[in-house]
Amino acid sequence: MQTFVTEAVDWPDSAPALREQVCALVVEHGERDPVKRANSWTKADPGFSRKLGEAGLLGMTWPAEYGGHERSQLERYVVIEELLAAGAPVGAHWIADRQSGPLLLRLGNEELKRRWVPAIARGEAFACIGLSEPGSGSDLASVRTSARRDGDGWVISGQKVWTTGAHVSHFMIALVRSEAGSERQQGLSQFVIPMDTPGVTVKPIIDLTGAHEFNEVFFEDVRLPASALLGTEGEGWKQATAELSLERSGPERYLSSMVLFLELVRHAEGKDDPALMEMVGRLAAEAWTLRLMSASVAAKLARGEDPALEATIVKDLGNSYEQAIPQLVQSAIDFDDADAEILRAVCFYLLQVSPSFSLRGGTREIIRGIIARGLGLR
Amino acid sequence: MSDTRRMLAEMADPLFADLGPGASEDCDLSRLEELGLPLLLVSEDEGGFGGDWLDALTVFRLAGYHALGIDLPALIVARVAEGERRHELMAFARTAQIAGALDAALALSVGYVNERQQFDRALGKFQAVQQSLASFACEAAAANCAAMGAAQALGRGSAQFEIAAAKLRANRAVEIGTTVAHQVHGAIGFTQEYALHQLTRRLWQWRSEYGNDAFWSRRLGKAVIARGADSFWPDLTARTD
Ligand SMILES: Cc1cc2nc3c(=O)[nH]c(=O)nc-3n(C[C@H](O)[C@H](O)[C@H](O)COP(=O)(O)OP(=O)(O)OC[C@H]3O[C@@H](n4cnc5c(N)ncnc54)[C@H](O)[C@@H]3O)c2cc1C
Repeated sequence: MQTFVTEAVDWPDSAPALREQVCALVVEHGERDPVKRANSWTKADPGFSRKLGEAGLLGMTWPAEYGGHERSQLERYVVIEELLAAGAPVGAHWIADRQSGPLLLRLGNEELKRRWVPAIARGEAFACIGLSEPGSGSDLASVRTSARRDGDGWVISGQKVWTTGAHVSHFMIALVRSEAGSERQQGLSQFVIPMDTPGVTVKPIIDLTGAHEFNEVFFEDVRLPASALLGTEGEGWKQATAELSLERSGPERYLSSMVLFLELVRHAEGKDDPALMEMVGRLAAEAWTLRLMSASVAAKLARGEDPALEATIVKDLGNSYEQAIPQLVQSAIDFDDADAEILRAVCFYLLQVSPSFSLRGGTREIIRGIIARGLGLR
Repeated sequence: MSDTRRMLAEMADPLFADLGPGASEDCDLSRLEELGLPLLLVSEDEGGFGGDWLDALTVFRLAGYHALGIDLPALIVARVAEGERRHELMAFARTAQIAGALDAALALSVGYVNERQQFDRALGKFQAVQQSLASFACEAAAANCAAMGAAQALGRGSAQFEIAAAKLRANRAVEIGTTVAHQVHGAIGFTQEYALHQLTRRLWQWRSEYGNDAFWSRRLGKAVIARGADSFWPDLTARTD
């Protein structure tokens, strides 16, 4: 039995130059405050996203016809891992560049593609994911927001919740029930809903750190043209779940606390403390391993394979790692010590945010259930 | 995988399975020698097999997978290294063996819980059992990736960082792996008759040999701290670029 077949990742020759390009951008336009550099892929800075667009670092793998830059998947991987390691504020465009753009290119009609994809690549159009509802969390197949036919078009009614970035987004890709009375995975479709359509209301939900990152989104008889249907009517479940390997194995699944690890190393410099050395060594080994695992999944995706089991393994290990860093730092560092001020600030921020790491994108229990199925246990 | 490596695996796999934990140098070494395995890393010019580090990974991992009773990795390494270098290469060997043995123990565990019935169903249908085995699978995957990463680094040249990181990561995987494997097996796994202990007792031994967690984490941490916070990420990526 080998659950995770690893092979050599063929890093692109252009990698060093791309890394330099990203670093220069981050030095000039990135975030300096280490607390704000933590978990940076939920920190929206539309200005920074536009800079990336201008630099040709969004929509990197997409066709030039739609504003893309026809680079390889691994070149894109290099860019996103650099951005995350540097704690750059990439939240505004993250979802659009990672999954909405590729989904539109794969399944969208010409009108949808022309309208949204080039704007995403310029860093001007942002997207949000409309899956969860008040009655539908882990049990996603129970969604109730509905789409009913109305002449040539559709009318959407219902509610989504926990929608990250809905308040800065230009459109949502929503999973809704398009066949009245259908059950579970049947009768679901995906729709592209512009956020400025009449009848769409976004209400903030403030998280426990006091930040506004996610929202409730209400749909009151929202009229959409026929072209808003994404892909095939009734195939929504298959379409939505096909994206998950992309969503689950990226470097954002293990780098959310990297800035704290780096501050720990800084704190340990010149101290010659064996306990700190051991902790740094252990966390460095884990970062090295997770980077190989995540890149290995990216290489398989680039070849057109769907390494779904490997992707969930990366998410589970990566989330546990991101959560362990603040716990370990708190257990070892004396925060009453004035010299630990920055470390303390970043650590307390991450202690508060880190519970979300194993919730967003599928909870730990759901992820482990998928791994168990991959092992042949369900 | 290259063709020679596939051939190597197809040769070693059934042989190691046949020899198993009961093999001894006195009785069985000749069968390994017939295939030239102890000379795996000796160059062809010097009459060896001329294998590379990925070939070594394949053989070491299979030796672990089948809990091979002969310490073939030690024989292979002794032919090409001594002193500090030997210690480092043996740490790599144990990493690969741990990776293989964890995969074997996982396979044994999954097979067992799918067979064994309690409360009128297979144990594998219980969510608690599924979730434990999923964690185990993650650890086995991490150990295998770490071993692969170290082998690749050896192929590129200096691999001090990677071997330290890989042995440390594999060592840590032993803890969850052995704990879950024994837990899901119940009492049968605690018997001499059942094969699990051939794997788990070796896993505990290999975790200690050629550097335990404290040894490698201290060495690795010291090196990382000496380079400084701002060098960590650039150093990490420069190793593979
Ligand atoms: C920061 C953040 C951002 C998010 N962003 C988005 C977004 O942009 N778009 C979006 O659609 N959603 C988003 N979500 C929602 C996220 O996908 C859900 O939180 C997640 O799917 C879990 O749903 P729930 O919160 O309703 O928990 P529940 O499903 O109610 O689960 C609660 C607990 O019970 C466990 N549980 C549930 N079912 C089972 C089972 N069968 N077996 C064992 N245990 C089980 C869960 O694992 C969890 O621990 C976000 C969530 C967070 C925290």
